[in-house]
Amino acid sequence: MSPLIQLLRRASVVPVVVASIALFVLMMMTFCDVILRSAFNAPIEAATELTRILMAVLVFSVLPIISTTNGHIAVDLTDGLFNRLHLSRVRDLIIHLVCGGMLYWPVQRVWILAERARDYGDVTEYLSIPTYLIGWFITLSLAVTAVVMIATGVLRFFAPHILSEPAQ
Amino acid sequence: MTAALIGFAIVLILVLMRLPIVFAMGVVGTLGFAYERGGSILDARGLKAAMSMVGRQITDTAQDYGLSVVPLFILMGLFVNKGGMARELYAVSNAFLGHMRGGIAMATVAACGGFSAICGSSLATAATMSKVAMPQMRRYGYSDELSTASIAAGGTLGILIPPSVILVIYGLLTETSIGKLFMAGIIPGLLGIFFYLFAVRWTVWRNPSAGPAGERANWTERLRALGSVWAVLLLFFLVIGGLYGAFDFEPLNLTFSPTEAAGMGAAGAFLIALFRGGLTVESTFEVLKETCFTASALFAVLIGAQIFSNFINLAGLPEALIAMVTAYDVSPFVVILMILGIYIILGCVFESLSMLLLTVPIFFPLVTSLGYDPIWFGILVVVVTEISLITPPVGLNVFILKGVVGDVSTGTIFRGVTPFWIADIFRLALIVLVPIVVLYLPQQMGALGH
Repeated sequence: MSPLIQLLRRASVVPVVVASIALFVLMMMTFCDVILRSAFNAPIEAATELTRILMAVLVFSVLPIISTTNGHIAVDLTDGLFNRLHLSRVRDLIIHLVCGGMLYWPVQRVWILAERARDYGDVTEYLSIPTYLIGWFITLSLAVTAVVMIATGVLRFFAPHILSEPAQ
Repeated sequence: MTAALIGFAIVLILVLMRLPIVFAMGVVGTLGFAYERGGSILDARGLKAAMSMVGRQITDTAQDYGLSVVPLFILMGLFVNKGGMARELYAVSNAFLGHMRGGIAMATVAACGGFSAICGSSLATAATMSKVAMPQMRRYGYSDELSTASIAAGGTLGILIPPSVILVIYGLLTETSIGKLFMAGIIPGLLGIFFYLFAVRWTVWRNPSAGPAGERANWTERLRALGSVWAVLLLFFLVIGGLYGAFDFEPLNLTFSPTEAAGMGAAGAFLIALFRGGLTVESTFEVLKETCFTASALFAVLIGAQIFSNFINLAGLPEALIAMVTAYDVSPFVVILMILGIYIILGCVFESLSMLLLTVPIFFPLVTSLGYDPIWFGILVVVVTEISLITPPVGLNVFILKGVVGDVSTGTIFRGVTPFWIADIFRLALIVLVPIVVLYLPQQMGALGH
């Protein structure tokens, strides 16, 4: 089991790199767009649609990672109470299972929307990028998020040693 | 109406059980929407309608052009911070203010204001500045009350001074102009700094030993300190000025949309950091990574908030509130006071962003129907949520500071914070009673032809 976890940990760098590149491109593109527009009156026409796509990529690439590393915005006011009652671990298990499980429906729905866009042959205005590709990407991200949340919840509860960080 | 209130209560309970806010708002919003549409939370037709709403929110929010300001402004803040900005800002304010009585605490407030202008998170500002300013104030024998309070209070200044992520989120939730919200935040933010400086002066006037004077820096030292931050200050004025339309003349004709301002700011901060030699490939990657994580979490929470807000609107809670206010003939001013009271109470439990996401969908329609300006209300909400961060008994900034500093009791910090809190109440009163303080700059912006 452990080597698999190691492998997954290594692999989790990939989406982070993808998201970082998307963000860097977004930054440079916006910068160049302003410069080109004001100095040479030649804006990047596809900037708007590329911005949309890059945003979806950067947000959804890292969603599975923040979902399993306590990256979501939450209120920790009752942490002390749960700790005193020794219920923190049970609570975390339930939260992971519930959150992962409830993603089933959005996954299904976003998938349907993507397939519909594919049937209609929707493409973006300037670059004619098929929009269903973005839909697929979001579906994939949500599905991965659901699976890893459930897996993380279960492993943390029943076999925390597998997930413990290797000594540096 | 009842359904909406029950839904709201369930969200509160789930959030307090530490369910991430996006899931709490998402699931209650979806089931509530289904209930409103089909008469039961498990009605097939209702659920189908709810799920199409959810699917659309997920795909549309992530691809919303206007939202691209969020990652770009976060990125700008992190790049600037990478160069040790907190320390440098503090050195500058200290060079100019440190020789006065209470001067080092005043420098702390000023540096907090400057730092948070770029950082945009109160809790992060308080945590960062405490590491820089606390040792200095200890060295000069400042009382624990004054030194911790100036950091805890100074940290709350940030989210008003643009660029402010929380104002972006308010703008998106309420479809209010982000550029105008930014402009509206400037004067109240500066007022906040001045009022806090008064609070420091008042503290040392009452108790001169709380904040002895430091050494006076000569002009060479002052200019040298200023030299290390001029590039960032210039970038700040370029971004905000471009947004305001200050460069909209021949031959430049340069006016930024919020997204463009954010992109210019991020790229500019990147170039500054690069030229100053503070960036490696690894540290650039770290900054990009952190930005992506923060942005992803913010987007998730926004999607949740929008799903929830769709349910609240369908359930007719805003209309019911408006009808109630009309039926009981409550004066608009009293309504505002009641809303402010609710925020102060909620602030005991939630930090600014969560509070904003939960309450704005409910209060915004009511407040605008009473004839108040949406921009003014946005600033008001942000100011009052920030006040709640230092309000006893559970101001979050105070606890953050206690966590970082360690050997000071929360009681001591709250005692020290009292004059700052009173200064905040004066500022709040000023904003409520004299709305032009908020609205002057956005109106000027309109006059320039945007």
